[in-house]
Amino acid sequence: MNSPFPKSSSVPGEGHLVAKPLPGGISGLETFTYQYPLKLISPSRPSETESVLVFLLSYGGGLVAGDHVNLKVDVRPKAKLTIVTQGHTKVFTSTSPDIVARQDMHVHIASEGALCLLPDPVQPFAGSVYEQTQIFRLEENASLCLLDWVTQGRTARGENWSFVRWVGRNEIWTAPAVEGDEKAEPRERLLVRDAVILDSNRSHPELALLRDSMHGVGVVGTLLLRGPLMKSLGDFFLAEFAALPRLGARDFRSDAAKQAAALAHSSPREQWRAERLATEKDSKLLWSAANVRGCVVVKFGAPEVEAGRLWIGSMLQEEGSISHHFGDHALMCVR
Amino acid sequence: MTVNLFEDPISPHNESETDLENEIADLERKLAAAKAKRPPHKPRSRPQQPSPEQPLSTPNLSHHFHLLLSDSALPLGSFAFSSGLESYLAHGHKSNPYHPHTSFSAFLPLSISSYASTTLPFVLTAHRNPTFASLVELDDAQDASIICTVGRRASIAQGRALLGIWERSFSQSLPPPPATIDSTIPSEKQKKDLKDFALLVKKSSGKEIPDASAHLAPLFGAICSTVGLTLQQTAYIFLFGHVKALVSAAVRAGMFGPYQAQKVLAGSSVQELITEMIKREWNAPVAKAGQNVPVMDLWFGRHEVLYSRIFNS
Repeated sequence: MNSPFPKSSSVPGEGHLVAKPLPGGISGLETFTYQYPLKLISPSRPSETESVLVFLLSYGGGLVAGDHVNLKVDVRPKAKLTIVTQGHTKVFTSTSPDIVARQDMHVHIASEGALCLLPDPVQPFAGSVYEQTQIFRLEENASLCLLDWVTQGRTARGENWSFVRWVGRNEIWTAPAVEGDEKAEPRERLLVRDAVILDSNRSHPELALLRDSMHGVGVVGTLLLRGPLMKSLGDFFLAEFAALPRLGARDFRSDAAKQAAALAHSSPREQWRAERLATEKDSKLLWSAANVRGCVVVKFGAPEVEAGRLWIGSMLQEEGSISHHFGDHALMCVR
Repeated sequence: MTVNLFEDPISPHNESETDLENEIADLERKLAAAKAKRPPHKPRSRPQQPSPEQPLSTPNLSHHFHLLLSDSALPLGSFAFSSGLESYLAHGHKSNPYHPHTSFSAFLPLSISSYASTTLPFVLTAHRNPTFASLVELDDAQDASIICTVGRRASIAQGRALLGIWERSFSQSLPPPPATIDSTIPSEKQKKDLKDFALLVKKSSGKEIPDASAHLAPLFGAICSTVGLTLQQTAYIFLFGHVKALVSAAVRAGMFGPYQAQKVLAGSSVQELITEMIKREWNAPVAKAGQNVPVMDLWFGRHEVLYSRIFNS
């Protein structure tokens, strides 16, 4: 079962992953199938056991126009699954605007199950067309950490939001428990729908070009958090957002007075925050956090991809929930 | 044989001049005969000289509500919201190489496009199907789609204000169904659906995830449909209302004065933009609605971290 090259399913681009709890409180894989161009790898001798680790890969490190990846993921009760990638998911140039590279993921997380999906960003090349739909159905007390981010393309080649179209949609739904089929009101309910549509086709000449409408941002991302295991992390983001210095406020103290105040009462958290705020300012990173119907939604944007990566990594490491519940390997793409 | 290229090949000969006169006379006779055959009760329509306008004998309900709903004095509290403009101004700074200038003419098209992309499908869908079930579903879907506190607050505050106006003022002013033969009269069913929706909103206050929140867009669509506005009129008023709120915010933020404001509102670029956006979103399903200006989400969300604020969004 832990072979890195398991049997393949028969439809191109389709994959199925089922994570289940194993004796001793660790998690393992029950089903593990995939078909070209999708590729899944799970280390046979994992170094960490907080969650079962799966690499989501594709041949050539990306998707060409016409590729359709369709991954189905089931997390059984009390199982913990971590999905990561190995480098940016490239979306290669399409020969025609109506040939789309598509990646869909349908995830069901059972009660007390948890999924951590912290991949590398998607990097759409000039002229690419990409659509991505990620739908998560969470039973009561299930937990989810999802990062979805996209970059301006290959800056070394002068690409700057030069693709034809990029559409990303993430939805979190409540799911009725499978066992409780008889119970009344087994209605699914949409909790959060986060959709971004980036289209190079301006419908009116008065509208800014896509790259101008991005206002210098080179990477935009969304972090979605839900469930009991993510409660503390969500509260952390909301508290840090509330603690951001007010924009337009003036500090009339002298530099010496500021330093003295900083030294007088600074816990490690306050020192970390002061450094982080300085980095945010230098790297022009902007972010916001909000509680949306029991989920925490964090949005961020930065001129440089690495600044975005450092920022999200620093936030997740400082709070510590992800490492604690899923192991350090869950953070490998954001370090 | 040589051909003189400058010689007119159909140059008139003497004998053909009389032929021509005859032909003209013949055609004139035919014209007079044809004119005589024309039925006298169907005068040719002449747009240059319209017949004197006659006053209507019955009130035009949809026209009346068109004016009411597009009025800036409609107490939705729109003046309290700048839809991210205030935050946009605060984020632009000459020290920021990526965002050194701020200008209303740059912000306006982005804002219209973003608002249309995220919100207009909810208006259009609610107008096409203004039933209770559809309204509840659309309201819930929009509550899930607004992923920032500030935007949610603005949408709910204006939606509830509109629902209040409907409940207390508009719904009683509508004529009862059999009173007129106007095809645009609202059905009692639609009025009851809106009443049930208002009840659900009241009942669900205080819940963590309310059953109904009363967001502006779906309610606006449903109410416009109930008072007989067309889909195109509804969409236009909705987007134009957004532009009016933005322009009024710009005036109060000191970006320009009232004459410039009217110039922007009257301008052809606003008209074209709104028309184009309606065309773009006309058939968009609400499930595919989304943000097309990602930095707008950041400006909107970060309105909360401004040191001083004159607007609620």
